[in-house]
Amino acid sequence: MLQPIVVERILQAALETGGDFAEVFVEDRTDRDLGMIGGVLERALSGRDYGIGIRILKGVFSVYAYTSDLSEDNLLRTARKAAGALDGSKLDTVLNFEPLQVDNRHPVLQQPSAAQNARKLDIMRMAHEALKQGDPLIEQTSVGILSWQQKVLIANSEGLWAEDTRTYTRLRLSAVAVDGNQRQSGMRAPGALAGMEFIEGLDIGAEAAEAARIAATMVKAGYAPSGKLPVVIENGFGGVLFHEACGHGLEATAVGVNASVFAGKLGQQIASPVVTAIDDGTIPNAWGSLNIDDEGMKTQRNVLIENGILKGYLIDRVGSRRMNMAPTGSGRRQSYRFAPTSRMNNTFISEGDSTREQMIAATEYGIYARSLGGGSVNTATSDFNFAINEAYMIRNGKIAEPIKGATLIGKGIDTLQKIDMVGGNLDHGQGMCGSVSGSLPVNCGQPTLRVSEMTVGGRKGE
Amino acid sequence: MKITQFQERLFEQGREYGYTDMEIYYSASRSVAVTVRGGEVDSYRVAETHGISFRGLIRGQMGYASTEQLETDSIAFLLEEAAGNAAVLDTNDDSDLFGGSDQYPQLQTYTAGLLDTPPDKLIDAAKKLEQLVLHADKRITMVRQSSASVREHEVLIANTRGLHCHQQDSIGSMSVYVLAGTESETVSGGWFDYDLSNFEAIDPQRIAERAAYEVVSKLGASSMPSGMMPVILREDAASSLLAAHASIFSAEQVEKGFSSLVGKLGQTIAGSNITLVDDPLMERVPGTTIFDAEGVATSRHVLIEQGKLNTFLHNRKTATKASTTTTGNAARGGYKGKLGVSYHNLHLEPGTRSLEQMIAGIEHGVLITELHGLHAGTNPTSGNFSLSCIGYLIEQGAIARPVNQITVSGNFNELLSDVVELGNDARFTGSCTSPSLHVRELSISGS
Repeated sequence: MLQPIVVERILQAALETGGDFAEVFVEDRTDRDLGMIGGVLERALSGRDYGIGIRILKGVFSVYAYTSDLSEDNLLRTARKAAGALDGSKLDTVLNFEPLQVDNRHPVLQQPSAAQNARKLDIMRMAHEALKQGDPLIEQTSVGILSWQQKVLIANSEGLWAEDTRTYTRLRLSAVAVDGNQRQSGMRAPGALAGMEFIEGLDIGAEAAEAARIAATMVKAGYAPSGKLPVVIENGFGGVLFHEACGHGLEATAVGVNASVFAGKLGQQIASPVVTAIDDGTIPNAWGSLNIDDEGMKTQRNVLIENGILKGYLIDRVGSRRMNMAPTGSGRRQSYRFAPTSRMNNTFISEGDSTREQMIAATEYGIYARSLGGGSVNTATSDFNFAINEAYMIRNGKIAEPIKGATLIGKGIDTLQKIDMVGGNLDHGQGMCGSVSGSLPVNCGQPTLRVSEMTVGGRKGE
Repeated sequence: MKITQFQERLFEQGREYGYTDMEIYYSASRSVAVTVRGGEVDSYRVAETHGISFRGLIRGQMGYASTEQLETDSIAFLLEEAAGNAAVLDTNDDSDLFGGSDQYPQLQTYTAGLLDTPPDKLIDAAKKLEQLVLHADKRITMVRQSSASVREHEVLIANTRGLHCHQQDSIGSMSVYVLAGTESETVSGGWFDYDLSNFEAIDPQRIAERAAYEVVSKLGASSMPSGMMPVILREDAASSLLAAHASIFSAEQVEKGFSSLVGKLGQTIAGSNITLVDDPLMERVPGTTIFDAEGVATSRHVLIEQGKLNTFLHNRKTATKASTTTTGNAARGGYKGKLGVSYHNLHLEPGTRSLEQMIAGIEHGVLITELHGLHAGTNPTSGNFSLSCIGYLIEQGAIARPVNQITVSGNFNELLSDVVELGNDARFTGSCTSPSLHVRELSISGS
């Protein structure tokens, strides 16, 4: 990457006009992407992202410049162009880089390389066969293996010099079931902050069978009803409920400018007492984990809500200045093209003492949401929504027929109070979270839980 | 290294490596963006990036690789990775590169000076927009951000078959995002506008007035009873719904069985009032382009003509498979992606009456202004959608009150046959555009 002397010149140039803090984020990332449709490998791409982001702060005013031309001349020119946004005079800054010692909590056994293509291909063929044989209604399959390695250098005018290498591997399986003129897809997409050993350790047959089962079940499903109903949400990626309903609203990006419904509520009861929620960037090899965040701070385990009481926010460097609170190792960005902001890592609701059986039995008429899709939220109002990929009616305390085409909506501040039962089977699912600093790997997790009332957006009057 | 120099060395070393044909797709962009909050500059962004995608024929197979680093050691990376990728591919259907069209349309898409708009001018404009919107209505509590930006972009495609296509475009834009409310209620909303050649042609006053209306008119919203009812999707909401389903017109999606339009070519798939056009040659809109990602000259295509499905969108590979000719719709997701198919400037032909006139014709229904979670709540394979949304309740031909906490559900394919009327209000703000759509009936789920 860049030599310390070059980085020092860039930082000094960036500070020429009175900035009180300057930072560089250098990224060298290699992606490999294989895709198979219907058993035919038709997508094989390799790509290298390479660039630098230069950030200058003066108070909470931030200047950000990025470029993919890393010649020293251009870097100094870019730093000065960015500094041109300020009109003060240079403060005396002595730079003395102190390399950050980071214990790697996320070991990678098989580093990604083009040489793995043949092995990946074998696994993908196996997955295709398993999807195809998962159900007679399966007419199309799609299998992909995506891996990337991101090398970063983060250095700043406080003397930080931090380097890290992040390796990601993800398998995507999707099956399309056709029944008459109905088409539905079912998918699985497990991923980890790890190398090929992650995929080698998966039960591919079971993952494929699950994707095929979802597609074949949902293609025969009737439409969901409309209205306000109790909803039992299955463990794992069901945690997207908390991610949307509350997580984004706890980010400094919104809280720091008073544009979140959760701003100013520390110490207050914002959720039902059965809710304890955590964001943990340290879970070994988890999809949303990091050794250090994209501002060079070590990640940590942040308790957000404890027994319903709001305990903390997710805070980046600028947020820390705005809110006058310590950063939480939550500064993240998709790439050098984005200034970092406060983001989630692995967010989850921790375990309670109910069981799935108790929740279903306690529900006269409602929805059992077994697998959820993505969603979104407006943090100013906490209005959120997310899609259901696989769901069933609950009638008289029993799981009944499958239903499709439903979105669940609500207001985070109301829904958190309506979580009335939490199970003991915590699990995590993998997703990509999109926000101002780009698209990032995150885990959403929870045990099975029940919300006493949510608006279900189906098509059937019942 | 300059791109022309990089290209020369890459092709030279590629030939030695064993490539018989090679192509580069180069894209570069430069931009300046400022945001203002509370009368102060909050952020200032300067960007300058480029990247190159290489594809080459080696041992009869096409291999792909890309890089953002245009230095000597990237040449080896591109050649080795593309060869490794070519070796594992099972398909052999895009093995010939395109030598160029006989003629390319001439269109003005670039204004050289736009990017040089002085930063102070952007900052002043954003500050002015913030002030205008703050004073537009007393109920506005905060301008979350007021932004101004200028951007330019260029694409170069060149190959060993003699293709050499170059195009530049530019855009200036302003936007504002606002909160309004009371102790017990907060609502948010915003507006934006753009100009392709002159930053000063953007009118902050108009943006401020519209943004203020958008946010303040949401105050006092509540849910409404569930039911089937007439719905007007306002032009922006209708455009977003069309964009979420537009992949069904891609021949690639059809061929792979992911489109709901499999086997429907030549059939009536929509009402006779529906005409859907992809027109890359329309002037003064953001989707204008004179060649596609394979270097094929673009042209206007009518996909649905008065309800009848005339054609899918093709690149050269999908056209060959379907025994037809390319429509000039080859696309790449930036320079990184594999060659696929996409629209350039897709739009529904508008109707004649205004949104107000359309509202006046509805006894009881909903005007939807925003659809949320489109990435998750739509399924282009089946056409089913269920989406969180907001808008206004329509009673006796007029807007009665704002509504929130509702969802709208239906099926996009059925919707195309169920459009009572299209408005005259299409706004070309992106590459996919619809006027307001009055739909006979959709399911609304609320309280």
